[in-house]
Amino acid sequence: MEGMNAFQMLEYAAWGISALLALWMLFDLTVTDRTYSEDLLTSSREGEIDDALVIDPPHQGGHK
Amino acid sequence: MSQTTTIHGEKISLLRVLGPGHVWALGVGIVLVGEYMGWNFAVGKGGMIAALIACWVAGLLYTCVAMIDSEVTSTVAAAGGQYAQAKHIVGPLMAFNVGLFLVFAYTMLEAANAITLGYLVQTVGTMAGFEGVHDKPFIVLTIVFLAWLNYRGVYATLTFNLVITAIAFVAILVLFTAVIGPWAIVELNHKDLITGLPYGWMGVIAALHFGLWYYLGIEGTTQAAEEVRSPARALPLGTMLGMITLLIAATMTWYICSGLMPWEYLGQAVTPLFDAARLTGSGPLMVLLFVGTIFSTLASANGCINDASRAWFSMGRDRYLPVVFGAVHPKYRTPYRSIVFLVPVALVFAYYAPLDQVITFSILSGLLGYTFMSINVMMFRRK
Amino acid sequence: MAKKRYEPPQQSIAGQTIDSLFLLALVFATLFAPLYLGLAGGGKTSLEFKDQTWAGWGQNPAMQAQWEKLGYTDGAKVVTKKEDGTEEVTGNATSAVDLVSSRFDYSFDPLWLAITALVVILYFYIVFHWSAKEYRDVIDEKFNNK
Repeated sequence: MEGMNAFQMLEYAAWGISALLALWMLFDLTVTDRTYSEDLLTSSREGEIDDALVIDPPHQGGHK
Repeated sequence: MSQTTTIHGEKISLLRVLGPGHVWALGVGIVLVGEYMGWNFAVGKGGMIAALIACWVAGLLYTCVAMIDSEVTSTVAAAGGQYAQAKHIVGPLMAFNVGLFLVFAYTMLEAANAITLGYLVQTVGTMAGFEGVHDKPFIVLTIVFLAWLNYRGVYATLTFNLVITAIAFVAILVLFTAVIGPWAIVELNHKDLITGLPYGWMGVIAALHFGLWYYLGIEGTTQAAEEVRSPARALPLGTMLGMITLLIAATMTWYICSGLMPWEYLGQAVTPLFDAARLTGSGPLMVLLFVGTIFSTLASANGCINDASRAWFSMGRDRYLPVVFGAVHPKYRTPYRSIVFLVPVALVFAYYAPLDQVITFSILSGLLGYTFMSINVMMFRRK
Repeated sequence: MAKKRYEPPQQSIAGQTIDSLFLLALVFATLFAPLYLGLAGGGKTSLEFKDQTWAGWGQNPAMQAQWEKLGYTDGAKVVTKKEDGTEEVTGNATSAVDLVSSRFDYSFDPLWLAITALVVILYFYIVFHWSAKEYRDVIDEKFNNK
């Protein structure tokens, strides 16, 4: 087999990007799970349309 | 390890940011790929006329599906869509079953889209003269990339879907405009190309199987119930507009293809609309329809990840599944654990299962869901 | 007398992880079982032609023109069996014969159709029946008026 052709490089790039994105998701998942309490993460309930109760933790100091 | 001290009443929910356009993109995005590939198997099952009958009969049924969804959603607007409807109207066991139908139907459809996309890239590679090209890297990339997009937030995901779905729809409109009227670049010959019913009426019934493919997935719009700014307006509007779009696209697609290809070819073609563009002999049209094919496939897989993860998430939230799946990402406000959990399922099927069988799973799960919906709406009206 | 409100027990993260993996295994098993048993997909047959020309295949001139534009030719495909048992197309590879001759086999056994219908009806009956019972339990509990 001679050197890689352009399409093979494309294939390796696809594998590489897939691996990176997958690793990023797993990394972010782990960090998120460790940063916030399980009670907060699973606090969503069906039918809560009242936005006053629902806050945006990273923007309102809910974490740490 | 730092722990949050949860202030009483502090909660995270999915983000309410979507408008009717996003709902349209979610519904049509999942389905439009059906006009680019898949619907034509109805022609193979029973001939051109059977496919048209199937297209309109299924269209009628799906208009009912869209109206049922609009009606029930006015009362039960929750992520999970038909799952949540089943929970409130029929009862827990039905809800659990419907939730599984939904997740299976969408995840299998996602796998089918990824397989198709990999195949298209492989075909381009082969046509460009490369040897030993593989489809697997692109199958995996499609699934992982779209899961990542879904993980990062619903607004970007569905805005992306809106753009690529609109392009794919416009591509069909352009092709249609190019083959009708006095400026037509190629003559449609329905008179000589349409034969009778090669299998008789049995073929018409068989064609219904793939007639569903013109619309399968439009009911997924209800999954966005907790993420639209105004569910009572945006969901019915987006769903009905989506249904109108699909009826137009489906009829145009049938008209173009049945006037250009012998039914034996059309019934087994992989990319019928792209083949129609090839038969016009126009280079720009070929490029446009190829882009349309790729975009519609991506949009469909993208919408499927969105819908499947919402259904899985709401089942976790209600303890039908482990509670961990009911988690919402504090920053991106998406059901991130459900999204990640379903990635390997889609990957394994896209990697190992043949396309037609994956499609059959998807249709079968869909059919079980529709059977439920019709009984459900009757119970809904009585309550 | 009011029923005691059901409080679901807390499940540990480890327990939930095990449950999730078990679910994953179940999902694969359910979906792959029909694949392995060959239950998905239908039967196909193929027509036999004596006259291997466009006309012999029942294609009129308009159809023939479109086939040719798509890059197909008429005439039978020449297939040779190789020593290891595999087949190789050695002549007329662009022939449309495979596409033109392929037909579905719609024959079915009424008994199996009836059994399938019965299974589906039974399934929906059971699910609706049990759901209705559970639904009443939930309502009773929520409104505390047993």
